[in-house]
Amino acid sequence: MSASPAARIEHAYNPFTWSKRTRRSFQLGMLFLSPWLIGFLIFALYPMVASLIYSFNDFSFHQALKWVGLKNYIDLFQDKYFWIALANTGYIVVIGVPLILVFSFSCAVLLNLKVPGQSIYRVLYYIPAIVPLVASTLLWIWVLNPQYGLLNTALGFVGIDGPNWFRDPNWSKPALLLLALWGTGNTMIIYLSGLQDVPVHLLEAAELDGANWWQRMRHVTIPMVSPITVYNLIIGMIVIFQYFTQAYIFSRVSSANYAGQSPIGQPLNSTLFYSIYLYQNGFQFLKMGYASAMAWILFLVILACTVVSLRVSERYTYYSG
Amino acid sequence: MKSSALSSTRAPGSTVERRGRRRHQAKKIVQDLLKHCLIIGVGLFFALPMLWMVATSFKADRDVFHTPLRLLPYVNTMVTVNGEQLPLYDVKFGDQVRQLALVKLQESIGDFVDPHDPTQTFPNVRMKFAEPIMQVGFRWQNYIDAMNYNPRSASGATIFTYLRNSLIICLFGIIGTTASCAVVAYGFARINFPGRNLLFIFVMGTIMLPFQAIMIPQYVLFNDVFHWGNTFLPLIVPQFFGNAYDIFLLRQFYRTIPEELCDAARIDGASELDIFARVVIPLSTPALAVVMITTFLFNWNDFQGPLIYLTSPKIFTMALGLADFQGQRQILWNMLMAASTVFTIPIIIAFFFAQKQFIQGIKLTGIKE
Repeated sequence: MSASPAARIEHAYNPFTWSKRTRRSFQLGMLFLSPWLIGFLIFALYPMVASLIYSFNDFSFHQALKWVGLKNYIDLFQDKYFWIALANTGYIVVIGVPLILVFSFSCAVLLNLKVPGQSIYRVLYYIPAIVPLVASTLLWIWVLNPQYGLLNTALGFVGIDGPNWFRDPNWSKPALLLLALWGTGNTMIIYLSGLQDVPVHLLEAAELDGANWWQRMRHVTIPMVSPITVYNLIIGMIVIFQYFTQAYIFSRVSSANYAGQSPIGQPLNSTLFYSIYLYQNGFQFLKMGYASAMAWILFLVILACTVVSLRVSERYTYYSG
Repeated sequence: MKSSALSSTRAPGSTVERRGRRRHQAKKIVQDLLKHCLIIGVGLFFALPMLWMVATSFKADRDVFHTPLRLLPYVNTMVTVNGEQLPLYDVKFGDQVRQLALVKLQESIGDFVDPHDPTQTFPNVRMKFAEPIMQVGFRWQNYIDAMNYNPRSASGATIFTYLRNSLIICLFGIIGTTASCAVVAYGFARINFPGRNLLFIFVMGTIMLPFQAIMIPQYVLFNDVFHWGNTFLPLIVPQFFGNAYDIFLLRQFYRTIPEELCDAARIDGASELDIFARVVIPLSTPALAVVMITTFLFNWNDFQGPLIYLTSPKIFTMALGLADFQGQRQILWNMLMAASTVFTIPIIIAFFFAQKQFIQGIKLTGIKE
């Protein structure tokens, strides 16, 4: 076998140089992988290529493609609602994701304390995460009802006049973030398992050196769970960029207040998120070429954010193993 | 914490030591109390909305919008008069108030009877002088009403229809995902062939692929080419071709199964398929259970897929039906919360039976929503 790595790679990827045994194991591997390979080609690769083609065409359901070049992209950059949707999504990504991470981490720290009955608390904190999204969204619309809702009543007890939440464009996104924090159990559990893996001897050594609780947290625990933070950050970003169900249902509920108009994105387009506007273009306005251009931009943005956060985090992350 | 390190250096049994220990104990109690308060305080944020959902689901219509807000549901107090259950009211006669049972109600005019003396009747009382006497109680009728409530009466679909549809999709989704991912993950974990690692990068890369990026071509493909419009097929069939999360999870698990077991079978003349089916699969039931649970959760929750593909109410899933429930002009919060509770209960039950698999599923795959 040739010595240089490049030659070895070429050998591995050149089927004509394979031994009979390699060829057989390749066939066997393909056999086992075939469901995924077929699925990948039909349900992922083909749609990706097709949507790229659609994005350069004027296209609607049941209609032939009409090549328009970059028109969809140019129109998008001149579309006021595209920028509103992008800004709204940017808001929940930039504010929401760090908020969710900090909140989940704090909850995980609480759930990692050694107190009796902790297993009950853990279940209690986690349960909201398994409530189906549609149900939890409806529940929070009711909880945040300005007049009869639980939260504004509770705020009233301490003398705070609660906001109008979903009917106020300034408060509709914070309302959605509250809902996101409520259902953050999964992130919490991942953090909790990370906290349980922090080596006790490191914490004890720090304590012997006179480090107080905050110093141990800051210099031992947080660095030790940093790989988990990176994981949660990336997955959280990918999920939040696709934020759809909650915003869609919110808008549906307020539809009674906006008779005649499309309720989506109300109040005052403050909940018009990227995925919502994409759905609206594709399936309500039937501008599928336009929506495909949006889809590709979304994909590239997610890709860029993932790569950038991986690169940046490399510098700050501690990998023990 | 620091004091414990110090006190251990003192002679045991001395006064100083005892005082130190007592102070230490007192400090620990205060700390424990603070910890509990903090955990419970934050816990209220998680627990109260859940309680609020269940409580609202048991409320009567007029009780839902009661001010000041009451957490617990109230029902009209009932009394038995001549073997009949009748609601009890406070009825005003001038400045005198009497507790009477309502016999008949007709357009804001009611006939009342004294529950203690049924011969004494009070016909034709204006209902504005009568105030129902309420007590804490659960209105189970809401659940019956919610299950039969029909926002689209023409379609003949009820929540039972939606529940059935959701269960069908879940069942096929679980079969498809488990079978396909089990096979594919084996290829990635145990068969050494050129290009395997490159392909695995592609598998993981699909996690970054947003649903929105592929949904339009998929929609066109399923509707125009396959003619699957308004069926469950667009939601079920793709699940028979594996997904990145579960392939990753099972691959990780397969790699923990000792290679020697497979080698032993190989020496006995077993083929790779035999090893997969007879050795690896039986040993992987815990991981397969995790896959089944997460697939169930995904299908039960999924909203955007059904929203695009299912157009007639007869084939709506529970998630879609519930969103449709409130699409009406007036929101019946008690019914809506009853339906939401019904929608949530299967998952809560599944959670208590398979807590370990839920937690493992999260730890291994993070999210799947």
